[in-house]
Amino acid sequence: MAPVPARSSSDLAPAPGLPELFLGMLQVALSAFGGGLSAWSQRIVVEQRRWMTNEQFLTGLTVARLFPGPNQINMAVYIGAQFRGLRGALVALAGMLLVPFTFLMLLGVAYFWLHELPPVDRVLAGVVAAAAGMALSMGFKILDAYWHDPVALLLAAVVFVAMAFFHVRLIPVVLVTGPLAMVWYWPRRSTGGD
Amino acid sequence: MSSLFMADICTEPTRLTDLGNLLWVLWEFLSLSLFSLGGGNTLLGEYHHLAVDQFCWLTGTQFADLYALAEAAPGPSSMLVGLLGLGAAWKEGVGWGLLSAYGAEAAILLPSTVLMVAACLRWRRLEHSPWRIAFERGMGPITLGILFAVGLKIVRTADSTSAGNLSVPGVVVSVIVCLLMLRSRISPLWFMAVAGVLGGLGIINR
Repeated sequence: MAPVPARSSSDLAPAPGLPELFLGMLQVALSAFGGGLSAWSQRIVVEQRRWMTNEQFLTGLTVARLFPGPNQINMAVYIGAQFRGLRGALVALAGMLLVPFTFLMLLGVAYFWLHELPPVDRVLAGVVAAAAGMALSMGFKILDAYWHDPVALLLAAVVFVAMAFFHVRLIPVVLVTGPLAMVWYWPRRSTGGD
Repeated sequence: MSSLFMADICTEPTRLTDLGNLLWVLWEFLSLSLFSLGGGNTLLGEYHHLAVDQFCWLTGTQFADLYALAEAAPGPSSMLVGLLGLGAAWKEGVGWGLLSAYGAEAAILLPSTVLMVAACLRWRRLEHSPWRIAFERGMGPITLGILFAVGLKIVRTADSTSAGNLSVPGVVVSVIVCLLMLRSRISPLWFMAVAGVLGGLGIINR
């Protein structure tokens, strides 16, 4: 039977309790072992378990991206908080993180035991160079969105120079440039659609 | 209070067995939590500063290794903080290392989680507030600047030889992977696998 997503709130399953939230997020984490965490959580939460409508889920993605914290983890928090408040959020978070985190910590233990062996170190030297390339691509990936906004590019350049060349730490940089940027981008009623 | 500039103050590893140290470390991670803009990768530079320069738990090479491990493993890459916690208490034994790992991850996630719950409860009012719109638009360019600084810092840390010079083959591989990340849809796991083989053959030195 192909599950059909709930179209309205009357099609939804009853609100999950804490154990169900934990198991649901555990299922998401296990399904996503090969990647695609966001797609899996949509499939399981909206289509299979019918906890929320697609619209509610997409609102969650918006909130998760806006607020500080890793997006996928914020999404689990959103799902848990919808049904069971702070306790639900913590339980959903635990369900999502428990298996991948424990797996990574076992890898970490293996690393600290083995990393001084010359063959392990040689392989890591290569893997690390590739991972650094991934880090380097992060800025370029979102650069397109700001290409036609000179003020945005200037702000980004100021932040980059302060951090990369003057070694200013992140929190002071955000506390100084953040309010300035918010004043500049404050929505103005007269200009309408921007 | 956290310092304004990233100065190297390393003398010996900051031990977590001292209560004052433990509270200081916890405070650093708790306060960073609310500044993880743009999905959390913006904090990579701060993690490096804390683990390598300020608390001296790891060498730059070890930090780069752990970053790669967190990227390669399934799940959110922000779990790197757990690996840093593991490294911070590794000398006290595996048990303490794991305890420190779970504690570090909890500290980095708790404040942003509480804020996220508050945001969910008030979202109807927040959604059309000018504060939200200004925050969303304003933080974008700042995130952009931070991500470029972070990328540069990770490349400098990862592609350096034991003598402290840049490793040319390493930089070449990083730049190629960066271009492929932008121009292709190939899974990054392949890049790490191929580069791992090149490293094993001794082509990428460090």
